[in-house]
Amino acid sequence: MNSTTLPTSPVAPRDFALAAPAGASGWTNVWAIAGVVIKELCRRKDFYVLFVLTALITLVMGSVDIFSEGGIVRYLKEICLFLIWISSLVIAITTTARQLPAERENRTLFPLLAKPVTRNQVLIGKFLGCWMACGLALGMFYLFLGVMAGAREHVWPVLGYAQAAVLHWFMLGIVCAMSLAGSIVFAAPSSNSTITFVVCVGILLLARRMNEVALGLSEPAQTIVYGIYFALPHLELFDARDLLVHNWGAIPWGIWAGALGYAAVHAALFLGIACALFRRKAIN
Amino acid sequence: MRTHLLAIGLLASLAFSFAAWLEPWHATWAGNRGKSANLLQTALGDGRKIFARHVYAKADAYFHNGYYPPLFESTDDAKAGRLSQTAGLSKDKHNCADDHIGKPRDWIDAFSRHFYPSRHSHIGEGTCGHDHDHDKHEGCEHCDHCDHGQGDKRSGEEREILPWLRLSAELDPESVQTYVVCSYWLRGTLGKVDEAEQFLRMGLRANPGDYELLFELGRIYNEDRKDPSRARNVWELGLKNWHRRESGKPQPNLFLCAQLLGQLITLEEKQGLYPRALEHLTALKAISPHKEAIQRWIDEIRYEHTP
Repeated sequence: MNSTTLPTSPVAPRDFALAAPAGASGWTNVWAIAGVVIKELCRRKDFYVLFVLTALITLVMGSVDIFSEGGIVRYLKEICLFLIWISSLVIAITTTARQLPAERENRTLFPLLAKPVTRNQVLIGKFLGCWMACGLALGMFYLFLGVMAGAREHVWPVLGYAQAAVLHWFMLGIVCAMSLAGSIVFAAPSSNSTITFVVCVGILLLARRMNEVALGLSEPAQTIVYGIYFALPHLELFDARDLLVHNWGAIPWGIWAGALGYAAVHAALFLGIACALFRRKAIN
Repeated sequence: MRTHLLAIGLLASLAFSFAAWLEPWHATWAGNRGKSANLLQTALGDGRKIFARHVYAKADAYFHNGYYPPLFESTDDAKAGRLSQTAGLSKDKHNCADDHIGKPRDWIDAFSRHFYPSRHSHIGEGTCGHDHDHDKHEGCEHCDHCDHGQGDKRSGEEREILPWLRLSAELDPESVQTYVVCSYWLRGTLGKVDEAEQFLRMGLRANPGDYELLFELGRIYNEDRKDPSRARNVWELGLKNWHRRESGKPQPNLFLCAQLLGQLITLEEKQGLYPRALEHLTALKAISPHKEAIQRWIDEIRYEHTP
């Protein structure tokens, strides 16, 4: 059912913040919805708790005396990056997974769709909001990491950090789109969060080895596993932690841009699936 | 109400009696983790040893600037042997031509290699592999790529492996290899002789009389402290302990025995104690595959120094 054909809900507030002015483009609606999601993340305590925890653990680990040898920094970078990856996955998945169920539960989805806002715009707005919010959170995390590592190492590889952070952010784009699609399929945000988290961690740990596993199998299992290997979103491609930790320098720009393109295609694919599912979904 | 109060009183007395009975037993029980001052032992018990090998492998990964077989390619030879080979603990030499990842199997594999360390290098060495021995650095694509001086040898970066070796020793205090490798790096490149000796002594407290630790301690006395008599005592004790522990085994660690004897021979020769040197050379000849070379050495000493 097309959302624009939905009747105006009698419970819709008159000056609802997301209501777009007459004649406003679809993008205005999308950005308005995204802005609300970003404000929601700022209001919630999840990010602050995870940030303080990451900073605290890193600083405590940094205070350990190791053979009175100052300037040991790689283990700290590794621990900090590991915590950043865990925290960012938690923030991305939980924030995205609760968007649509919360709107349904609070019955704010009806007034939202009663305005001249299409279902696709709601979904894209939610995605952009979550992705932007993840970007803001990542910016804070990587800033802390850069300052902490630079203060000990006296080297400031800004380019390497920027490349790794942007790769990480685009990877979270795939995760957000995946989680958004999951929030339409699964009944509860908790089940969606758990399944998305398990899938993401599984891909990060195992996807790189799937081709080797496939080559060891007989037909037709080999073709099936290899097919899955090519179809999977390879999240591990965006994991440049070892390059950062061991100061391997910047990734060639062409390769880096290629990875961002790969992420954009997969995020668009999951978002397309989510839009298709949401259009068919009865929201009452 | 009174029955309830009496029941509660009875249960409280029973709980108190059990506590008074069990506490002295628990305090003397061998499995009581609370006795240990080590936080990791208290938290994980003997299970911590499972993680020790992984942490040691992490140190090896750091030694190779992150270029390392993944979790699923775990073989003892590939994973844990390379750091100890470099430290001279194993008779096998570290082979820098080892390439565990091989050729890319598909485009995703080839593409993904740009996002993790996929070339063999060692800590302190350049990681980019470009030749920096040229005049015009400005505008050079390679030098731009290596803008943080990766092409140049960096001194003291070996310290980065120390946290993992220390943690590995905390997790498994009975792993002798960890103490020896850590001491090798501490006293060698980093010049921290006191810390190396202290760490070896910590290892000796956990593994009393271990000949590998005594061998390394002897090297500290001989090479760093310039105290040959203490080095001799330590190596002779190490040799004695080797005979006690290894001689009955079907495959004794002959490499370490040969190293102990070799160090003792060189020391005695330098000190002018030729009969002792000949004694050790005879023992070395019995276990060495290079019997002719050792015989020549014996003949040389006899010819030059026997009246």
